[in-house]
Amino acid sequence: MIFFLIIGFSIVANDTPNDAGGSILITTYNIPEGTQKIELYRLAKGDTIYEEAGLIPPRGECEDVSVVDGVEYLYRVRAITEDTFYVAETKEFISSSPQWFNRTRITVLLFFILFGGVVLVYIELAKKNPKGLFIRKLPALDAIDEAVGRSTEMGKPVLFVPGLEGITDAGTLASITILEKVGKRVAEYGSRVIHPNFDPIVMTTAQETLKTAFSEAGRPDAFNKDDVFYLTYEQFGFAAGVDGIMLREKPGAIFLQGYFYAESLILAETGYSIGAIQIAGTNATTQLPFFVAACDYVLLGEEMFAASAYISREPRLLGSIKGSDLAKLAILCLIGAGVIFGTFAVIANNAGNPSYLGIFNRVLDFIARGNG
Amino acid sequence: MSISTSIWIWIAALLTLMIYSFLYKDNPFYRLAEHIFMGLSLGYTLVILWYDYIIPRIYQPLFFSPHQWSLIFPILLGMMTFGIFSKKYNWLIKYPLAFYVSAFAAIQIPVMLRSWILKQVEASFLTPDKFSSVFNSINAILIFVGLVTTLIYFYFSKKREHGFGAAATVGIVFIMVAFGAAFGYTVMARISLLIGRMQFLIQDWLGIM
Amino acid sequence: MKKRVPLLITFITGFIVIVSFFVPHRPFGALETETLIWYSIILGFTLLIGVDSLVRLHTRQIRRKKKGWWYSIVFFAGFFYCLTIGIISLIRTPNPFQPGTVFFYGYETILIPLQSTMFALLAFFVASASYRAFRARNLDATLLLITAVIVMIGRVPAGHKLWTRLPGIANWVFDVLQMGPMRGIMIGVALGAVAMSLRLILGIERTYLS
Repeated sequence: MIFFLIIGFSIVANDTPNDAGGSILITTYNIPEGTQKIELYRLAKGDTIYEEAGLIPPRGECEDVSVVDGVEYLYRVRAITEDTFYVAETKEFISSSPQWFNRTRITVLLFFILFGGVVLVYIELAKKNPKGLFIRKLPALDAIDEAVGRSTEMGKPVLFVPGLEGITDAGTLASITILEKVGKRVAEYGSRVIHPNFDPIVMTTAQETLKTAFSEAGRPDAFNKDDVFYLTYEQFGFAAGVDGIMLREKPGAIFLQGYFYAESLILAETGYSIGAIQIAGTNATTQLPFFVAACDYVLLGEEMFAASAYISREPRLLGSIKGSDLAKLAILCLIGAGVIFGTFAVIANNAGNPSYLGIFNRVLDFIARGNG
Repeated sequence: MSISTSIWIWIAALLTLMIYSFLYKDNPFYRLAEHIFMGLSLGYTLVILWYDYIIPRIYQPLFFSPHQWSLIFPILLGMMTFGIFSKKYNWLIKYPLAFYVSAFAAIQIPVMLRSWILKQVEASFLTPDKFSSVFNSINAILIFVGLVTTLIYFYFSKKREHGFGAAATVGIVFIMVAFGAAFGYTVMARISLLIGRMQFLIQDWLGIM
Repeated sequence: MKKRVPLLITFITGFIVIVSFFVPHRPFGALETETLIWYSIILGFTLLIGVDSLVRLHTRQIRRKKKGWWYSIVFFAGFFYCLTIGIISLIRTPNPFQPGTVFFYGYETILIPLQSTMFALLAFFVASASYRAFRARNLDATLLLITAVIVMIGRVPAGHKLWTRLPGIANWVFDVLQMGPMRGIMIGVALGAVAMSLRLILGIERTYLS
């Protein structure tokens, strides 16, 4: 069989960028028409025979991940058609190496440093000067006292559902903070809180949180650990169980706080049907509409994360809220500046000067690179 | 077609009716179905635990070559969670908890920055193509105003006075309209779920149609 | 030992995992994957705590003959049924979740109808919540539900019959009016979550270690 070295069919090998090493990126160009498969061969420096290194997919690009860092290689490819094959090879040796920084993540790093920096600076400032820190009203949190109080007056327990995510979810963590406040009020008013759980670790955390809350309210003996229990790890099984509790225990106040999925409306509507005051809160943006439709008070998304600062009024937490707010302001300014500059760039472009539009597009590319 | 003779279809149909009986009020049938559900899902959890966790993540990597001895650390951390069964050593759970929560928080930071913040910021930039017609221009401006006023609504550390308060009010109006749209969009999907269950009862069980 | 060490673990773990996102070089690059494996192993152990809690709860119900105690027997019946068919399938086949196994069949015929029926309850609840559009509870909820009704009717054939422009309006509300606020909410939630994660890693937010 004869083979052809055709003009145009070529191969380029480069160290794979932004990786942990052990990989060389192979790209082929101008793949001959009718190619059925492309075979890859590799020659390590010092060796005399090319060894097989697998097949290259039809798009013509692949990573050779069986290389050793620091060892230099030459590459050869064979594009096999029905009746012949074509060969291309690299002329210079290439080796792989690990990188210390993933450049595709520079935008994320920049945002992280800016955002983290602002939050940290404000936490420090708040520690030094705790006066003058303001946080706007969150009616859902103000309503806790009223809800627990009314429930107690009616002689009914309080139900607290911490959502369907684990303790690692930011919404669940926020719900634990809210539980602490609810627990204190329940203890003070001499009521009872029922806390069914989807996640066992949330259950143990809730038990400890309530135990502390009851102790701080001076009623450690009133806390019943059995009221904080595990229900199931199955989404609709959990919904069925909580609905059952609602119908049987008839709580006067229901707190749906945490991350919820489609069961949110099942729970909220059942709660509504038994006439309980419902205070919901979730970071699950898709479930917010259902809570707003069926509950009396709702902490909308980010408001949940402000709960710990709102309840405790601890300067460091308030400082971090201020930091987040400034980040929002910065984002608004960035988008606003984008509008002004973008408009100017388009006008300039129409007048025959495309350079500003180029800058605008480069900024957009930089941001887009971050979410790739 | 005639009524099903399969015991499994009968069980499934009766359980379906028991759950629906809840819509009337709490009753022993619903409670029965609820407890079967709980029991089954707990059994299911244990089977998953064995099949998805113990075998592939602990048994195989530890007892088969190449042995991954480093897994002893998470196993030890995992065992520390059992500290809660003891009054004296219940604080032990704080060690795995600290690792568990912090690791996830740290993984979440770049994910949130990339997929939620940067992606939304990029999409919010008003590029020339968004003004290709008068209608598109109005839409682009509405989206922009909706975003800006929503972000103002979520601004916590400033009093809602004057223009800032008015912007926040516009923000909540936009938010409620957005929620309404999402709500309305979901309704048909929920109705189709019910249709699915009704089809099961009418066709598979009763054999009508 | 009881408070400081966990806080130290929190800080070190958080710091290393964040660094590993930006540094592909060994040993950092592989840490994210390794962390997730560790995480899932610990999660497995925690599930046993849940099993213990539920079994204890129902055993107590039966032992103390509390009101409705026999439902706890039903609970155990379901539990042992699922466990038994699971064990049989695990002995017989390498994958009990494959179609055709006793476990798959037992699960498919009982658990799935229960799940689907609970899920389908949403149809009724969506209807009851929508009905409230006509009862002004508060301005926010009313605004929400009026928009919901417009989108809802606009998306069904009847909406087109009612007014030919209604489907177009419904789509416009969904594509345009919804877009801005949803973006804002997502940005807000993400900023809040990142700030919370930072507070957690730095040991400022520590309620979960109470």
